[in-house]
Amino acid sequence: MKRFRMCVVLVWLIPASAVAQDAQPAAPSRLWIVAGGASGTLRGHCQDCAQDFPFRHGPGLVGNAGYRVNPRMDVGADLFWMQWRNESGRIRATAIDAVAQFRPWESKGFFVKGGAGMAFVRNWVHTIGPHPDDSKALAVVFGGGWEFKPTGRLGLQLFATQHVGALGDLQTANGPVADVTGNFWSLGAAIVIR
Amino acid sequence: MTTWDRARFGWIVLVASAVLGGAGPVTAQETPPPAQDDQAPAAVDAKGARTACDGCPPRRVGMSFLQATGINVIYGLGNLARGQVTGRITPKTWWANMQQGWVWDLDDFTVNQIGHPYQGNNYFNAGRANGLSFYESAAVTAFGSATWEFFGETNHASLNDFINTTLGGITLGEMFHRAGWLIRNTRATGKQRLWSEIGATALDPITGLNRFASGDASRVSEKPSDLVPSSLSGVASAGMLWRGSQSSAFTEAGDPFVEVDAYYGDANVGRSRTPYDAFWLRMRFGGGSAFSEARVRGRLYGQPLGKGLQFSVIQTYNYQNNDAYSTGSQAIDAALGTTRELSPRTRFWILGWGGLTVLGAVDSLPLGVTKKPEEQESSAGQGVSEGPRFYDYGPGSDFGTLARITHDGREVALFFYVGRQIYSLDGVRANHFLQHARVDLLFPLRGPLGLGASAEYFHRRSYYQDAESTIKTYRYPQLRAYFTWGNR
Repeated sequence: MKRFRMCVVLVWLIPASAVAQDAQPAAPSRLWIVAGGASGTLRGHCQDCAQDFPFRHGPGLVGNAGYRVNPRMDVGADLFWMQWRNESGRIRATAIDAVAQFRPWESKGFFVKGGAGMAFVRNWVHTIGPHPDDSKALAVVFGGGWEFKPTGRLGLQLFATQHVGALGDLQTANGPVADVTGNFWSLGAAIVIR
Repeated sequence: MTTWDRARFGWIVLVASAVLGGAGPVTAQETPPPAQDDQAPAAVDAKGARTACDGCPPRRVGMSFLQATGINVIYGLGNLARGQVTGRITPKTWWANMQQGWVWDLDDFTVNQIGHPYQGNNYFNAGRANGLSFYESAAVTAFGSATWEFFGETNHASLNDFINTTLGGITLGEMFHRAGWLIRNTRATGKQRLWSEIGATALDPITGLNRFASGDASRVSEKPSDLVPSSLSGVASAGMLWRGSQSSAFTEAGDPFVEVDAYYGDANVGRSRTPYDAFWLRMRFGGGSAFSEARVRGRLYGQPLGKGLQFSVIQTYNYQNNDAYSTGSQAIDAALGTTRELSPRTRFWILGWGGLTVLGAVDSLPLGVTKKPEEQESSAGQGVSEGPRFYDYGPGSDFGTLARITHDGREVALFFYVGRQIYSLDGVRANHFLQHARVDLLFPLRGPLGLGASAEYFHRRSYYQDAESTIKTYRYPQLRAYFTWGNR
């Protein structure tokens, strides 16, 4: 259902911007919206754990909404959602961060972004225990990419980001596991609307 | 002998380079600088590059990232020169770090809370020195910090280092950058000019080195207008401090201390969109450790709201480390302040704030441990911290108030309170609530000389998430008597 809703939003946004472009030349807008998808890889870690955790893979969704501070910088909220499967079923992680995106060269598409916020992880490190609880985490994100048509109202970006979720303790059926950190790497593409 | 030593070594290398680099400009200065009338227009520097103003460096984005990488190389070489195991990087260690991702590290408090922010200040000023804005330089700081964590050491990339280096680096970086521009006398020539540039380079080595390399260190120009504060004042205090705890009365023999407060610009008034056009810096030496306190509160945004109210967004860096307790944090606060006239000669100013602590640290012993054991030499090699680490890390919130009464323009009373909650994500699992209050009474003696007395109270209550839900409380009262020099 969530996927369907996201698709509807995307489909609705694309023609709206396209119509706007046809009607008038690109005017500076303060809006900054990014929506797209990614392929993600996850790996968990804990400070005192002896085992080596496996990499797991899954699809993800990425969204940004915010404000263009100047032609080179945007600030706003970053939403990253990823799900993957392991032997115990489906696991989901959502990170909501305050982010700043910076394009060092105004006319070029290269950008870097970074921020921090919160992550919510549900039923996640299967290898630690069969029934881990939901967990909130300190989230940090950084990444970079290339935006095609960076000065237009509608653009496309390719990106690579790394999200980290620092959960602290994770309560599992086998007892608490301390200092758990999850790293999420993602590669993807997104539509940019300004 | 860990990252703090490395940071210090890197700093020494940078300052030494700056001093040695000064040799060129000394010779160059023997040739009289061109008359001001011969200077190119404000938007073009001596080499024909476009600049934002006369005296501003040209905007060189690629160079700023290159220099941030160069700073990493210098710190890395410093590690190697000192025999640090963590400096033996190879493509294999880079790949291992990238595969691992972020972890928490086990370095000691000073390394993480001062060493890394100082290193971050160098990255930040690689941006500022190359004509980048505050926020653009913040991105360079994050880049330098991330690349150091993944590629600068064999240690796995540390999340707490990344946050401390980036946020602390931004705070300290802009503070040092502006302090350097205070010292720099760009209208002077000859030895006076040289020493002002060397002094500024000691505070902000990266900007100084760039200026010596480009010849700007000897070129007569105006200071960039956004780096000239609307006002500037400071107070130095020296005296004795007596500290007590819940288990003992005040110490008979006090600790001597020297404290410096610097006020750059006026954060209490005006519309501001220039980050750090106003900031407050406090540093204390002595009083329980060689360097016991550093606080920086820089204004990111200011807006008058009418009826005497002033709204601000403030970035803060906080470090306290003495023989009784240690705490540090990086936070973003929203603040509301107002000034009221109590009489024609007496004014009252109050500021209240609340915000988010992105990452806070507080000393904390595991339950059942009553005394921090002596640190053992690492068996994994020099520079590798194996723990245990006796402080906790986590995000949280903070709130506080600052009030001041002035009489005939001189401070006579100060009140400061800050409350902070830290939810420990790494370390002993607990919710820490810290409260810190301080009252100062000041008596003018003669000219800028004054006498002061203060009472301070630090209180920590920790709610541990163990089976017994243990609660522990720590109290540290302090008294001070001191002389002051200067005025706000």
